[in-house]
Formats: sequence, C-alpha cells, structure tokens
Amino acid sequence: MKKWISMIVFAALLLMLAACSDDSKASDDGESGASGGKVELDFWVFGSAGYDVLAEEYMEEHPDVKININEGEMADIHNNLFTSISAGSGAPDITMIEVSEIAKFMQANDQFYNLNDYGAKDVQDNYLDWKWQQAQSVDGDFQLGLPTDIGPTTMFYRTDVMEEAGLPTDPEELAAQINDWDAYHEAAKQVKEKTGKPITDSPELMFSALRDQAPEQYFNEENELIIETSPYVKEAYDYTTQLIEEGLVGQNSLWTPEWGSAMADGSYATLIGAPAWMIANVKGNAPDAGGNWSLTTIPEGAGNWGGSFLAIPKESDHPQEAYDFIEWLLSPENQLKSFHNNGLFPSTPAVYEDEEFLATSDEYFSDAPTAKIFAEAAQSVQPIHMGVNYSIVQDELILALTNVAVEGADPQKEWDAAVKRIKDQLARQ
Amino acid sequence: MAQPQIQPDADTKHEPVKPSPKKKRSPFHFSEKTKDAISGYLYISPFYILFAIFGLFPMLFSFYLGFQKWNGLGEMEYVGLQNFKFVLADPIFWKSLLNTVVIGVIGTLPQLLIGIILAYALNSALIRFKSVFRVSIFMPYVTSTVAVAIVFGVMFNNQDFGLMNVVFNWLGFDSVNWGTSEWGVKLAISTMVFWRWVGYNTIIYLAGLQGIPNDLYEAAKIDGASIRQQIQYITIPMLKPIIILTVFLSTIGAMQLFTEPLVFLGRSFREEGITVVLYLYREAFSNMAFGTASATAIILFVIIIVLSSINVFFTNRIGK
Repeated sequence: MKKWISMIVFAALLLMLAACSDDSKASDDGESGASGGKVELDFWVFGSAGYDVLAEEYMEEHPDVKININEGEMADIHNNLFTSISAGSGAPDITMIEVSEIAKFMQANDQFYNLNDYGAKDVQDNYLDWKWQQAQSVDGDFQLGLPTDIGPTTMFYRTDVMEEAGLPTDPEELAAQINDWDAYHEAAKQVKEKTGKPITDSPELMFSALRDQAPEQYFNEENELIIETSPYVKEAYDYTTQLIEEGLVGQNSLWTPEWGSAMADGSYATLIGAPAWMIANVKGNAPDAGGNWSLTTIPEGAGNWGGSFLAIPKESDHPQEAYDFIEWLLSPENQLKSFHNNGLFPSTPAVYEDEEFLATSDEYFSDAPTAKIFAEAAQSVQPIHMGVNYSIVQDELILALTNVAVEGADPQKEWDAAVKRIKDQLARQ
Repeated sequence: MAQPQIQPDADTKHEPVKPSPKKKRSPFHFSEKTKDAISGYLYISPFYILFAIFGLFPMLFSFYLGFQKWNGLGEMEYVGLQNFKFVLADPIFWKSLLNTVVIGVIGTLPQLLIGIILAYALNSALIRFKSVFRVSIFMPYVTSTVAVAIVFGVMFNNQDFGLMNVVFNWLGFDSVNWGTSEWGVKLAISTMVFWRWVGYNTIIYLAGLQGIPNDLYEAAKIDGASIRQQIQYITIPMLKPIIILTVFLSTIGAMQLFTEPLVFLGRSFREEGITVVLYLYREAFSNMAFGTASATAIILFVIIIVLSSINVFFTNRIGK
C-alpha cells in the first residue's frame, strides 16, 4: 500500500513537471483575462525608441490595457523572435522588426497577423510609400508591420575637429564645401594633415554611407546576387578601401566600446551616413560632448539606414488590442513625439510640413536645424530592395573591409574572397 | 488511500487466479517483480523524460536536418548529401577544425603539465596556507565563461592601450592585433582556456596525489631514491589513471570550445579564431542554414568518435 501511495504521489509530481511550461502560460493568460478584464500586451523593442513613455500615456487613456515592454539588443530580439516563431511558442504580442530582417520574417507570414484585416489599409496614406511597401508581401495583400521610424542619412561632424582643420563649422557652409565625394576625399586629406585624425573612424560606416545612396544594393527584385554586375556596391567598396589605404579612415568596428568612446573623444571628424536614430547613440555615448557635434547634409543625396516595423505574431491572443495600440503609437502625432523624445525620424510625411517640426533645432548639435536637414534627406531617399539574405552579404563585405583596414590586406583579393564566400553561403540557403 | 475493493471494473477485468481473501487485491494485477520494475523505472524516469525531450530529440532531429535544406522558417527540402559536400568543401570548415586542434593543444597541454607541477607543490609539506592556495587556484573555474571572455577581451585589446599591448611595449615588443591576427587570436583564446581550467586539473591531480600511500615514498627514501626518482617511479605511475581522465576530459572540452571565441570575436566570426562549434553556430544562427549546421554537427560527432577511439587505443596500451 505504502508503495502505491508513493508511486501515485510520484506520478502526480511527474505530471506537474511535464505540465509545468503550459501551466505558467495558462495562468498568465488567465490573469490577463480575469483580473478586471485587463489585457496584457508583451511588446519587444530594441534601440533607444523611448516607447515606454508613450506606452504609459496609452495605458492611462486605456486602463483596461497593460503593456509590458521588454527592451533588448537588436540582434537578440531578432534571434529570440526567430526562435519563437520557428518553435511556435514564446513570441510576444507586439514585436519590432528592423528593415534588414523584415524580408526574412515575411517568409513566415503565416505566423503573423495580416494587419490589413485590422484596418491597416485605412492608415496606409499616412506613411511614405517606399517604407510601407517594405513590410508588404509582393502581391500587396499581406501587411506584416506598421512603419516606425526611417533613417535618412546625413553627416554628423565634430565642430572642434573641423575648426582645427580649417574647415567651415556652419552646417550650410560645410555642406556647400563638401558637396560631392571627391570634395569629401579632399577634406579627409586636409583633416589628416592639420589634425592627424581620420575623417571617419569606421570602415563600415564609410562603406554603408555610399552604398545606401545607390538605387540597388546586393540583390535585385528576383533575389539574385548582383554585386558583381551592378557598379554601385563595388564603387562604394573601392572608395572606402582607397581612403583606408591612404590612412584617412580609422579602424573601429561599429557598436564596439572603442567606437562609442571615440564619439566622446572627438578622435575623428565625421560620422558619415548617420541617420536620425543615431542621435540617441551619440548623446548616450558622449553625454558631455554637447556643442562639439553638429550635422549637415551628406554629399550626393541621402540614403536610408535602418528604421523598423511593428508586427503582431499569430501567438497573440489580443490582436485587435495590439493593433489599436500600434496604430496609435505610430500615428503622425506620436511619431512626432518620438522624434522630439528620442530622435526617431517620422515615416509620416504629413509631419514634414509642420512648422513647429521644421523649426526643431538641437542644442547638442550646435543648434543645427536637425528636423529640416533630415526632412530634406528623407525626400531624396530612393526605395531599394534588400532581399532575404542581405545580412550574409553585409557580414562578408564588412569582414573584407576590416581585413583591409586592420590587417592591411589587398582590397581586390579581399573583395574576390568575400564574393566567393557569399556565393558559397547563398548556395546553402 | 486507494480503495481497490470498490472498483468492480478492475476486479472483473483481471479475475485473479488464486484469490487470497486475506490480502487486499491491487486494481492492476501485477506481480511483486513487475511492481519493483515499474517503480524502478519511475524512479529513474525524471532524468530520462527530460533527456528525451532536451537531449535525445534534438540529437535525432539534427541527424534528420543534416539531409534537409532549411532556413528555420520556410519549408524543408530534402537535398541528400549536398550539405555534407558543402561543409567538407568549405575551406573555412577545415580552418575551423585546424583552429580547434591548435587552440586545443596550446590551451590544454601546458594546462596539464603545469597542473601536475602545481598539484605537486600544493601537496608538498613545504607550503604554508595550503587551503588558501587550493581555493585561489580553483577560483577561475567557478567564474562565468562569458565574464572571463569579456575581461580577457579588454586585456587583449587591439589598441595600444590594451593591457597586454602595454606590457608588450614595455618589454620592447611591438603591439599585437589580438583581435584579428592569425596567432594573436589563438593565443588570446588559449590563454583564457588555460587560465580557466588549470585550477580544475590541478585539483583533480591533487586528489590523485593524496591517494598515493605515504609508505611508498618512505620505502623509496630508505632505499635512497632522490626526489626526481620518487616522482618518476612512484608519483607518475600511480597518477596514470588520473592523467588519462584529465586527457579525456580536456580533449572533449577542446573539441567543444565555443563560448570563449564567440564572446571574444563577437559576431564577426573571424576565420582566425573560428572553432568547429562556432562554425556550426554561425551556420545555424547567423546564416540561417540549419541543414549545413546539422551536417557539421554530424561530422563533428564522427570526429569525436575517431578521437576517442584513438584515445582508448593508446590508453589501453599504456595500461599494459
């Protein structure tokens, strides 16, 4: 008898163990459904978006909704989302997806709600066309996400370094002097000669700035690799490696601690191809460098770097509530707030004509008319097709650039090796 | 608690052959032996159930995945042996294998040698504050690998202000590109491995040393053996099983080296420091090619079997 009792207890324990994972989820849902009808929305965010402030505001207006913001690194959020989508469990109610990853998740669009079913079509006209299309299926029926910010590129620069180099410090004068990439090259030589500092510190930034201006990048609309036939990427690579070999570009990799502290030190002249969301990064890395930074138009027309979307995975039990929240969060008025709070540049062109918006200047950036410069940049962005395997090509080209910059490798050999590695890798996809 | 008598269903289904009125009948008619067996299986079941879910299933699934083309989200596509061809024809895979062996050798061999020496020193009667030394030598093993890799990443910084480069410059050598040069990366990673595991091996050796009876040494001393002879003819032979154990563990550990290079190199996965497991990880979670990643895992599995067999072969010979 005793044995039976212990066995039954044991089996019960075992069952509890096995049911553990489901259990916690069930009680979670139970809570959100039961406690005064409060709907809980888990919201994954990366970058310094500042959505927590707006979410507070929304929760005050909608006491029946509770939004749990989970902030993480961009790569981690995408990895976690990928894993949970692939496994069919663990995804949040709302997730941020960056533009370089959106094509990948579009392949699994059966795992997301079609926002058109919840009224996305009605707000489509609020957003820039090219931005809207990035999160749309080819046939246009499926809308994966609503646009957050965009990243029209500009040129951030250190006024102190420019002054030392004998270059203009006023945004308009500097833009007039550095009006094309040859002029940028000349300025780089001048900065190097007068101050001994590189014009920019990261090979990747230099390369991306040029690449983002191109009408086509790594893949064509059929997802075929075009870097060998299309001139633009190779031109960007050649220009970058030439500046590297002349010692005009530093060796820092993006997002490293050294890269961050260089922003505070002023050990280079320009942060080239920097989009609006970079403002928060600069201020975060160099809180005391206010007034030493300014920004102006990038030579030869802006590109777009980054910007994200908010999507609702199929696992969410409250798609309507989630949609209502993101439609509110990404409305023109609130995008304007995100711009003022965290520098996220609106993807809603109506805002660009707003007088108050255009008058925005930033004390940190030496009172440069930031909104006006970004708005002008945004107008010249051309829509490009990034493709599902964008990051594979990107990683290999950055590796080649790093080898040239740090190891002094031969640029053409590195290019050829990178192209070969890219092709090998693409064959496996 | 269970009331078996009032369950007529069970009774009618399992009509006992020899009903003994004194004994309470069980609802399931199991013999004592079967019951013992069942309870035995139940006792060990938690491990096996968890193992089946988190160990066995992924293993079998990766064998299946090795023959598929899959990006994790879309449909799988059967491609036969193509994944294996891709991996085996990839120079970076062979580079990663070479790296693994090289880092394994320069990270592990000195570890075992110095481990023995340290253990001998700790075991000798000459040293005071023995337990302090023992604890401090074991400390690195308790630290988190990620934390170690981050701290070493700062020390082995490419720039002139990195600690190792400061020391190098001070000694009159040129700065080394620890993050990107062929040997710089390997040395940096090997140093991390060495630092973290040397204490672990020392403690194992120390335990082995303390298991050697003192009378052997006393007898040797009476016969006039020198300290060198004592080590050569008593300590090393008596330590043999322990040495074999540490060699086994270190070999397996070296083949699975992952966290240190991942944190040290970041997501650049540079060729100089990529190990087999890192190659596998890159395939799966950076390039989203789960087919080739699984194929790599299977190849690694075969390599470990071969290495273990070689190990067993040699240790058997040493034992005789």
